[in-house]
Amino acid sequence: MNRLIEKATMMFCWMSIGLLLGAGILILGYLLVKGLGAVNLKLIFGGTIPLDALLFKKPVFDGLFPAILGTLALVVLSVSLAVPIGISTGIYLAEYAGPYTKKIFNLFFDILAGIPSIVIGLFGFSLALFLHKHYSKNVQPCLLISGLALAFLVLPYIIRTTQVTLESLPSFVRVTGLALGATKLQNILFVLLPKSFSGIISGVILAIGRCAEDTAVIMLTGVVAMAGIPKSLLAKYEALPFYIYYISSQYKDTQELMTGYGASIILLLLCLLLFSIAFVLKRQLTYLALYRA
Amino acid sequence: MEERIKVKIRNLFFSYKGRDVLKGINADFKENSITAVIGPSGVGKSTLLMTMNRLWESIPDARMKGSVEIRFNGSFHDICSPSYPLPQLRRQVGMVFQVPNPLPMSIYKNVAFPLKLAGRKDKEQTRQDVEKALRQAYLWEEVKDRINNDAFSLSIGQQQRLCIARALVLEPEILLLDEPTSSLDQKAATMIEELLLEIKERYTIIVVSHYLDQVKRIADNVIELSGCGDGVINHGNGVKHKPVLEH
Repeated sequence: MNRLIEKATMMFCWMSIGLLLGAGILILGYLLVKGLGAVNLKLIFGGTIPLDALLFKKPVFDGLFPAILGTLALVVLSVSLAVPIGISTGIYLAEYAGPYTKKIFNLFFDILAGIPSIVIGLFGFSLALFLHKHYSKNVQPCLLISGLALAFLVLPYIIRTTQVTLESLPSFVRVTGLALGATKLQNILFVLLPKSFSGIISGVILAIGRCAEDTAVIMLTGVVAMAGIPKSLLAKYEALPFYIYYISSQYKDTQELMTGYGASIILLLLCLLLFSIAFVLKRQLTYLALYRA
Repeated sequence: MEERIKVKIRNLFFSYKGRDVLKGINADFKENSITAVIGPSGVGKSTLLMTMNRLWESIPDARMKGSVEIRFNGSFHDICSPSYPLPQLRRQVGMVFQVPNPLPMSIYKNVAFPLKLAGRKDKEQTRQDVEKALRQAYLWEEVKDRINNDAFSLSIGQQQRLCIARALVLEPEILLLDEPTSSLDQKAATMIEELLLEIKERYTIIVVSHYLDQVKRIADNVIELSGCGDGVINHGNGVKHKPVLEH
């Protein structure tokens, strides 16, 4: 009987993995089959000569180039806002906070993690309105507001991964530095954090993915269908996920729908690029922190 | 040679999560010699070591009562007093653990790490100190050509000697070792025993050991923790000194 249960459990686990793998391959395959034909330089740069567009000499009107740049800018902005704050908060919670404070903050960040993105978008929109009314008429939904709102959205991921990684370091690692005369801060900076880089980076990757794909937040905080390359932090911008959403709900012919598939592939590639950068960064940081002579 | 007391422990009580580990320990540790702490498992041998560099303070739910005094620069200091700076104490009292715990960095950086923590800037002086510590730990000849390799490329015995070198690089006055050979094979263990005998003239060495033959080979003094309520060797203070045969 016991053996039967064991076998059934194993079977179930394998089936789950198979299902997941199958679904992943199906989605990717479908996307590639449908959209690969649409991916070409014309999709990205439209009628403009690619080199001119890359050097910002000529604007791109009917291509995805501005949307790609918009998404990139958005990801870089919100992640660079969220990472320092998130990591510091994670360190505080794991190393300094008392048990009572920790309980309260944990609850608070769990709630924050559970807030639907559309609500955060709404909050960003209200912030823009507030600033517009009380601070300057120039402020309206824009790249900066979107970046702030998205940073808020991904903050819990970064806080939680930092905290969990630090807390799960075994006690013999914790005392190594201390026994050698490290102060608490030195121990965190020189031993505990370098040991936690991989965990923290996985949180950052999660955050990058979330910033790149989120549509609800940016829809309310400044993304538009046509804006060209983002000119400043206070300007409207285009973004890939919004373009995909827009095309799939407004397309006039198959040709246009195809560009939506093409944009999806480009968004995936962009994420892949950002993830690789994060991985390289992780190795470089670990090397710099631990191995540099 | 006159034997001088280096560490004086008086009326030491220790509890962990409400469970008493040490009850009223009194013990003296002599300078420039090896003192072995023996006793059955769970009797608080490692805890006793951790009261001497206050490492126990990083353990949650631990409580300590009593006094631990160490003679630095000719006079006894109460190291348990909150005003005694922790980093300084841990530079004066080095510690080596049961399982070798090199940090994930190069051999050189591992040994130089405590110097970096202490704020040492002088590169040449650091290089000299690292070499000296590695020589003391009998490791220099084996690693001098690959000093910038990952510390984990070393064998487990070499890693433990690396940890000893790292503990020695700040020239502490006391060296605490918590079962330093129990994760090593016989050959590596012998090497560490020889090394301890070699350096004991310069340090006060306190070693927790499970192996009675090892204790016989290296220890000048033995302190036996008997466990609470064990009436046989418990002389009211839980500690018994007994001289060991000359080796």
